[in-house]
Amino acid sequence: MPGHRTKGFCASAAALVLCAVLAGCGGSGESVGGGKVVLRYTWWGNPDRAERTERAVALFEKQHPDIRVQPSFSGYDAYKQKLAVQASGGDAPDVMQLDYRQIDQYASGGVLFDLGKQKSVLRTSEIDPGLLDTGRVDGVQYAVPQGRGTETVVYDVKAWKDSGVPLPKRGWTWDDWAESMRALKERTGRPGATDPGWSEDSFEVWLRGQGKSLYTEDGQLGFTADDLTRWWTFTDRLRREGAVSSAEETTQIDGTVENTPLGRGTALSDTNWDAPASGYLAIVPSGIALAPMPSGEDGTPGQYFKPSMFLGVGASTSHPKEAAQLIDFLINDDEAAKILGATRGIPVNETIRKETAPLLKDFDRTVSDYQASLEGTLKDPPQAPPSGDNALQTTFQRDYDQVSYERMSPREAAENYVTEAKAELRS
Amino acid sequence: MTTTAIPAEAQRTAGPAPKRRPKREREGAAWVFLSPWVLGAVVLTLLPMAVSLYLSFTDYNLFDPPRWVGLRNYTQMFTEDPRYWRSVVTTVTYVVIAVPLQLALALVVALALKSMKHGKAFYRSAFYAPSLLGASMSIALVWRAVFNDGGTVDNLLGTGGWVNKPGWALLAVALLTVWQFGAPMVIFLAGLQQIPAELYEAAAVDGAGKWRQFLSVTVPMLSPVLFFNLVLQTIQAFQVFTPAFAISAGKGGPADSTLVYTMYLYDRGFVASHMGYASAMAWVLLLVIGIVTAVLFRTSRSWVFYASEGDR
Amino acid sequence: MTATAVTRKPVRWGRIALHLGCLAALLVMLYPLAWLLATSLKPADEVIASLDLLPGHLEWSNYETAFEGVNDVSIWRLLSNSLIIAGGAVLGNVISCSLAAYAFARLRFRFRGPLFAFMIATIMLPHHAVLIPQYIIFNQLGLVNTYWPLILPKFLATEAFFVFLIVQFMRGLPRELEEAARIDGCGPFRSFFQVVLPLTRPALITTAIFTFIWTWNDFFTQLIYLFDPDKFTLTLALRSFVDASSTSAFGPMFAMSVIALLPIVLFFLAFQRFLVEGMASSGLKG
Repeated sequence: MPGHRTKGFCASAAALVLCAVLAGCGGSGESVGGGKVVLRYTWWGNPDRAERTERAVALFEKQHPDIRVQPSFSGYDAYKQKLAVQASGGDAPDVMQLDYRQIDQYASGGVLFDLGKQKSVLRTSEIDPGLLDTGRVDGVQYAVPQGRGTETVVYDVKAWKDSGVPLPKRGWTWDDWAESMRALKERTGRPGATDPGWSEDSFEVWLRGQGKSLYTEDGQLGFTADDLTRWWTFTDRLRREGAVSSAEETTQIDGTVENTPLGRGTALSDTNWDAPASGYLAIVPSGIALAPMPSGEDGTPGQYFKPSMFLGVGASTSHPKEAAQLIDFLINDDEAAKILGATRGIPVNETIRKETAPLLKDFDRTVSDYQASLEGTLKDPPQAPPSGDNALQTTFQRDYDQVSYERMSPREAAENYVTEAKAELRS
Repeated sequence: MTTTAIPAEAQRTAGPAPKRRPKREREGAAWVFLSPWVLGAVVLTLLPMAVSLYLSFTDYNLFDPPRWVGLRNYTQMFTEDPRYWRSVVTTVTYVVIAVPLQLALALVVALALKSMKHGKAFYRSAFYAPSLLGASMSIALVWRAVFNDGGTVDNLLGTGGWVNKPGWALLAVALLTVWQFGAPMVIFLAGLQQIPAELYEAAAVDGAGKWRQFLSVTVPMLSPVLFFNLVLQTIQAFQVFTPAFAISAGKGGPADSTLVYTMYLYDRGFVASHMGYASAMAWVLLLVIGIVTAVLFRTSRSWVFYASEGDR
Repeated sequence: MTATAVTRKPVRWGRIALHLGCLAALLVMLYPLAWLLATSLKPADEVIASLDLLPGHLEWSNYETAFEGVNDVSIWRLLSNSLIIAGGAVLGNVISCSLAAYAFARLRFRFRGPLFAFMIATIMLPHHAVLIPQYIIFNQLGLVNTYWPLILPKFLATEAFFVFLIVQFMRGLPRELEEAARIDGCGPFRSFFQVVLPLTRPALITTAIFTFIWTWNDFFTQLIYLFDPDKFTLTLALRSFVDASSTSAFGPMFAMSVIALLPIVLFFLAFQRFLVEGMASSGLKG
């Protein structure tokens, strides 16, 4: 370790840190309970997902009497904190659910196990290669996507229809979208959508529609301050016209659908991931529908099938084979798929996806149909974003706040962001 | 009960030492009593502090081994990070709003309760009730509803929402802290209870009215308690995290207006994984709190009145 | 209460005004609590979107859902886990802080001044700074995913605030009692347990109340150290209802918040009358 010791206590401190780092490489002391292998399996989600997961896990334990699975879950934000502390303490779980944004950091930090070593147990042939590649870092398969999702314009069907504005249709462009928002504002008096300027995800869709990307292959920024200025000028103008939600509304977004403008009844649509959009069912009584995201002016689609979550194995696990078996079960087992439904996004296993699609109910079905309608029209997903993106996602939102509260011009804020992003990606 | 009003100069010295029998054997006994604390202080406080001090001179992303970078975290913090300075300003503003408001409210309620004959216990419990809650997620959601556009405050005052306006959001956060004034209130009540009744009687005999009594008896006699509350609440206010985090859903918005110091620290350390930078921020905060506390103690000599200074 | 004797002049009206003032203040103070209660009975589409205090209709199913627990763990289990942790913390703080406080208040030993100053200084420590190192230590000891990281620090008197509180209280106790005990041949241990400790009761109860409330509500530590859903607490389970990446269940979350509030309220009501006494006689004067 390139440590530098000044005082005695510094040395002991360094030693302690070293201990911790080493602990990351040692076994995490997995116990063998009653002759059984015990696997810790953590994930984020809600009670519904918990219930289905419990049932799937029970089935797995029945099939593998020698393995006991200890599942644990919390909400997304809490989960991220917890996993970061556990992983840095050398205590990562055997099987963990991971987000797209975590892969790079966890893989390069040595937290994840090379799944290629368990190829015989963990089958991935049924997964679309483009999608599977998103779990690779430096050519090593560190994680396997478990479900897929894509972005969508989710809208209040009744309000939109009543307004007389033509419904969104496939292949619409961002200009079409903006015109619809203006028309909706004019006819209904309410903003047409959430101001998408805050969302790094929406920006990415817009950017990809122009053939660019958020990050380059080597993890640097894939766009310039000019690009971002154009995006923010575009959204900022719509906001000033009242065609999209005001700063006061947009700032209340906290990740739950309830606190989006659509959820609060102050706008007619929202751009969101397809699976969470189901939350709107309970709060938009007149019903919702999903439309594709707008594409670039030349029709280039910006949205893509994104792995909604991954499964990875802790590098320190004492039972890599069993852990791989569990992942294989969750991804490839027919029965498991029936239990899990689309609770983790639409299944990635192509056979299972086709088999289970007719069995899906309610909103799962809506999402499944929506994805099926896009099948074959989208481009491959980008590789997992560099670890700095975790922080940049928040920075993006913060910098746009400065625009929407009219404290900075789009140009100033964009240049700020690019500076911050470059610093973040360098470190 | 004469001894209850003790001078308690805890801040300056370890207080009165037993004067008799300074025997060596008693020293052994002292260490036995202290042993849990010593163990905790070394293992759970000093050692982690040392580690965090070391980390503050490194680049540490939680996963790779820490890399020594000297003072870079500190220079970056002071010279290259405008958001850091915004968080400093936000925190100081918060301290200046929340601490006086909370103490004033706690004092007023304590004074009102003190002069009450009936229902004291009821009021005390009722006023304490909000402090039982902490800043849970549900209370944060309630707060957001009450202080939102069209919420109760908007309806009553016509100010519009607070939580979604950069100029107002911090006030809404501060009010959550102010609202939970139970602990300082109880401490004030305790202090008021200790003021000997004879002092009021003597003042009344001298013809002092109620207001005069308040100024010449209550205020000086209560000043040590006020000081204790002031120091404690100031320290806590500099470390404020939960109310701001909960109300802004972890973002510190709108437009960074509630991004207080510890929240930005948390953000750098746990979201952006710059643990070294976060540790440096923590050490700067520790120093600043230390300095502020020292200044408070220094000024206290001129306004805090210790009734029985010579009791030692 | 003799102090009020002097202020009795405008007898009734002043008192009535005082009560009215207090009641009005209470109304404002308790309004958010009423909101919390009301929201726990709102149907899903009203929980966030509606800015009215009263629910459109009473949605008792929020409570039914809350009582089912989370993650296959019953609410009783969550409740008893919370109680174990809060109870352990109370016990730990009361024992360890009073031991340390006795040494600081009554015994003579080397470095007492500096150690006391250090103890006070730890109140100023932002806990995020030591979070990771502490986690590493507990992980090395193999104690992660047990209650020990939540309880053990309390047995090691790491909460300096309480040591300080009890020190202040003990200093107020008449020294003569211990002197007498000492003459009777009591060592420091017997005089601590038999003479000082019983007299310290109000301060200990104050410590107990604060520890109970703070531990009960301490989400972050519980989140980081507890892994197994069987060990989850009520405070932790609350967050499971809200997930940014999928559907949230705000109604049941509010219902569970109300349920989680009950034990603290009961604990507080049972002991609150000692609270002021504990503070008062501890002569908390800076």
